[in-house]
Amino acid sequence: MTTRALDPVQRRAIRQRQLRRAGVYALAILIALWILLPIWLIGTMAFSTRDDVYSFPKQIAPIPFTTDTMQFFIDQPGIIDGTRNSILVAMITLAMSTTIAAPAGYAISRYFFVGRDAFRLGILAVRAFPIVILAVPLAVTFIEWGMFDKVYSVALMHTALTLPTTILVVSSVFASVPREFEEAAKVFGCNAYQAFMRVVLPLVMPGIAASAIFTFVMSWNEVFAATLLTIRNRTLPALILYQLNKSSLQFQYAGGFFMLVPSLIFIFFIRRYLFNMWGQITK
Amino acid sequence: MKRLRFNFAPYLLILPSFIYLAVFFAWPMVRSLQLAFVRDSPILPVLSEPEEKADVVGHLEMQVEVAVVDRVKRDEVLPNGRTRPIYWFKIAGETESGEPVEGWVHQKNLFIKSRTESDTARVVSGEGAKEWTLDYVERMINDYRFREALQTTLLLIVLILPIQFVLAITMALVLQSQLRGNSIFLYIYAIPLGISDLAAGLVWVTIFTQRGYLNTLLQQLGLIDQPYVFLSAENQHWMIVAIVLAEVWRATSIVMVIVVSGLQAIPREYLEAGELFGASLWQRLRHITLPLLKPSLQVALILRTILAFQVFAVVVAITGGRVLTVLAYETYRWYDPGDSGFNNPNMAAAYAGFIMLISLAFAVFYLRTVRTQEEAARE
Repeated sequence: MTTRALDPVQRRAIRQRQLRRAGVYALAILIALWILLPIWLIGTMAFSTRDDVYSFPKQIAPIPFTTDTMQFFIDQPGIIDGTRNSILVAMITLAMSTTIAAPAGYAISRYFFVGRDAFRLGILAVRAFPIVILAVPLAVTFIEWGMFDKVYSVALMHTALTLPTTILVVSSVFASVPREFEEAAKVFGCNAYQAFMRVVLPLVMPGIAASAIFTFVMSWNEVFAATLLTIRNRTLPALILYQLNKSSLQFQYAGGFFMLVPSLIFIFFIRRYLFNMWGQITK
Repeated sequence: MKRLRFNFAPYLLILPSFIYLAVFFAWPMVRSLQLAFVRDSPILPVLSEPEEKADVVGHLEMQVEVAVVDRVKRDEVLPNGRTRPIYWFKIAGETESGEPVEGWVHQKNLFIKSRTESDTARVVSGEGAKEWTLDYVERMINDYRFREALQTTLLLIVLILPIQFVLAITMALVLQSQLRGNSIFLYIYAIPLGISDLAAGLVWVTIFTQRGYLNTLLQQLGLIDQPYVFLSAENQHWMIVAIVLAEVWRATSIVMVIVVSGLQAIPREYLEAGELFGASLWQRLRHITLPLLKPSLQVALILRTILAFQVFAVVVAITGGRVLTVLAYETYRWYDPGDSGFNNPNMAAAYAGFIMLISLAFAVFYLRTVRTQEEAARE
């Protein structure tokens, strides 16, 4: 601020601007609270003692802090196996989805070919389709093929679910690397393969990693198809859903929090790429 | 060397994903229609001789009463080398169209009181034959839970989407105003993107359950003495409120991300010009930002509507699935082979097909309405 006296009109304009700024801040914080508060509350429940979980009125912080409730949840039959199944499914899905999608994404972003727009449009349409529609016939087909109730069959299903999104994201990541970089590498004596490996790949790796993480999260969260496709080899969400009606509050709170934790971590790592991922579907 | 050559490379690159989606996407779609519209209706072939390979002289429907006119006893050799007696029966009956059929059938296809004495029997099994049917669809439409599920699903869409879009646009504008700590706000606003519908449902259970946070708050404020039971069969409207809040909480981020991408594409000059000519914040929003955001909003609307027709785990978590039902839950219930389900994939496929149809109808409707508005504006 300058020491020179401002005339009343200027002063009012500045004050108005500051007020507006404060208002936007208040709004931003309010929305942040709207998202964070429920997470804090279920976290509080997940780390409270058994008595506190059932007590009323509720406390708003986990005092005394205990891991008993989480321990109780993890000790329930099938939770460890379910978690392992979920991680396995998500890893297979991530690997398959990224491997199959990467070449297609590259093709869409780098080549002009007959049918390119049709393929893109097809992918967009497929992406919007509900898993609910797909899960029933796939479950029936998997029973016929003898692939029912297997970890890999859930992964096959999840790959079908995530593949369209991954293709679109990967193509937007490739599109963000200018063609000139590749051409420059060739001018300096690289062949096409070297140009791709040494110039393009390092530049797209972070974006593809972000997309892979998002694929992991989508698979980790998916519950409908996993519930239909498995009976004994349930993934974690399928297991929790199945036991929901006969489970205690401790189980529900700790289970809910347990499922939520990976998203808190993973979204942090990929937050910069979110607009890359979703932005282009409007174009 | 300037020769125009057909370039196979891009086709090779998209081939794996094309094949994958054909096998695990297109084929299940076809299979889904098959399940919903084709019935396996077994019919029994009647043979000219008491042998497996004899000629077929006619077919009988299931559950037809037939007269037993003759029988022969045969020995069937089992895989372990032993033999067991089995009977072939010569039966006389009528086909569905009323034609008489007489011939031989294996004992496994008949229900017969005494293999040696009875002179009547009933046809109970046969070979698979496929026929088109609307039975499953009719049964679905006439099911009272179908109407409930459709009503609840539509009600949720009507309640959730407007709140979601207002909130998402607000969030996007807040992020767009580049506050200090913007990246922290972005992270927080994006967190729900990674939260599953099941976890979101459980999060809101902690708030709405009888000994939950909402009751705690109301009691602290002195509004109630005893905890109020929000989530009970008598309080379905409170269940709807809880589901709406959970869905708005969980699924607004995706709309926000699409809107932010749309905002970034709007040239700054437009807004600056608006400001220069004295347009207020609201006027700029109403006449510059929102019209230019239309394509993004349209995409978000289609995506969110299609996803809203699949709302499932949130509802199960909050209501247990019994009190309030939605279309996806009915699909699950008809498929589920467990004790609470009906183990009927055909009905489940009919429900799934209905969800697909109604999602498509809404998508087409949105695309149409927006286009006609644009055309109207051009004229």
